Amino acid sequence: MSDNWISSISIDDIPEDDVIGVTVNGHQIAFYKVEDEIFATDNICTHGHALLSDGFLEDGEIECPLHQGRFCIKSGKAMSEPLTEDIKTYATRMEDGQVFLKFS
Amino acid sequence: MSQENRIPVTPIWNHEDTSRIPFWAYTNEDIHKQELQKLFYKDHWCYVGLEAEIPQPGDFKRTVIGERSVIMVRHEDNSIYVVENVCAHRGMRFCREKHGNAKSFTCPYHQWNYDLEGNLQGVPFRRGVKQDGKVKGGMSKDFKTSDHGLTKLLVAVRGGVVFASFDHDIESFEDFLGPTMLSYFDRMFNGRKLTLLGYNKQRIPGNWKLMQENIKDPYHPGLLHTWFVTFGLWRADNRSELKMDKHFRHAAMISTRGSGGKDSQTTNVSSFKESMQLNDPSFLDVEVEPWWEGPTAVMMTLFPSVILQQQVNSVSTRHIQPNGHGSFDFVWTHFGYEDDTQEMTERRLRQANLFGPAGFVSADDGEVIEFSQQGFEQKPFHRSLAELGGKEIEETDHMVSETLIRGMYAYWRKVMGV
Repeated sequence: MSDNWISSISIDDIPEDDVIGVTVNGHQIAFYKVEDEIFATDNICTHGHALLSDGFLEDGEIECPLHQGRFCIKSGKAMSEPLTEDIKTYATRMEDGQVFLKFS
Repeated sequence: MSQENRIPVTPIWNHEDTSRIPFWAYTNEDIHKQELQKLFYKDHWCYVGLEAEIPQPGDFKRTVIGERSVIMVRHEDNSIYVVENVCAHRGMRFCREKHGNAKSFTCPYHQWNYDLEGNLQGVPFRRGVKQDGKVKGGMSKDFKTSDHGLTKLLVAVRGGVVFASFDHDIESFEDFLGPTMLSYFDRMFNGRKLTLLGYNKQRIPGNWKLMQENIKDPYHPGLLHTWFVTFGLWRADNRSELKMDKHFRHAAMISTRGSGGKDSQTTNVSSFKESMQLNDPSFLDVEVEPWWEGPTAVMMTLFPSVILQQQVNSVSTRHIQPNGHGSFDFVWTHFGYEDDTQEMTERRLRQANLFGPAGFVSADDGEVIEFSQQGFEQKPFHRSLAELGGKEIEETDHMVSETLIRGMYAYWRKVMGV
């Protein structure tokens, strides 16, 4: 079996210094672009089940619009209350202007 | 209407001492509202529950202080917090479960989210929503979550029992009880872990003070309660003491069980039934416990919110929860101790059949309180009498006295300013 790299979204479709939500392979994924680097996490907050892509990206952290819990987009670590659970992150790879996502 | 039948606009206590209690003390709605403010929400520690009811971090219990809904919750660090069950946003009583486990509290109306200490953590759309590349709406920049937490109560835990106060300037729980009451409190809650055995709940259509008076009245048990007088658990000829704190607000009725049966004291008592026998004698399978240090029954009234009961092997708290001047909910929490044997647990549970809404004994009390309230509502200009044992307020070494009721009303008049 291959290493599960799935083609997901064009790099140009991810807004600069912001976030976008896309369904990839049945999973709701949030893509972030910060200084031309791409990150990906689950899009549903581990606390109130809101979409992180409706939230605010600041200083490498995504703030959930519902209760202002903040996750580090790089590590997925829960950075503030009311979060108690980290969010899942995905490895990304660029090829021909397309973002590939690794599912494991 | 004659002068003495007139209901005063501002109630006036027109008797010099507290051996006569005006009926308006039980029927006046303004008096009731003032009682909530002066007795339940200020200057008094009120009962909220047992630590054993919330053993795990995140466990909570919804209860009340006076008529205000509160939540008792165990924090992750194991300490206990009590917060008011009113959302800081639109005032909703957000918590509806009686018991549960939570990581945080969320009001369902607009999903304002609070940590277990009552701090506001998050507000939906605080920063507005993103639409067409713009951010629209949301709270103003100067909105601070730290300004909008739940109302936090002061908490006192002693011997596994939890009390709380809306009033943060209150004296310590120990000072509130005073040394005499504290010694009886510590007798029952002597550091052993408590175990929860179960609840009885009932709504009694009478003024809440009548329940305090019922347990400050050692006159009635040997007369009203056939069960007590016939089987000797509480009779006028039992060795007894009546004690109070220095304010006369709290009290203890202390009694040691006699042999029961017929003697000179019972011959004229109609509730004594010589031929009555227990179908199941195990209800009175009493085992003397070392922590009693003698007395077989100690009934404590901690003013205003709770009664602490030891009647032989049955131990309980009874929480008084007013709702309006003419009704209160009465919640019994039966408990045991972690070093109880299985036999002792069963014994405590069997003896708990004396208590609660259908208890062999307590069913009588619910009824007399209901019918007392009916008498008061019928002629609110009248008064009741509490002159057994004289008109003074003093501790006694017998139970043929209404001194504890007179004491409670001396304190009540002072606090209420009537």
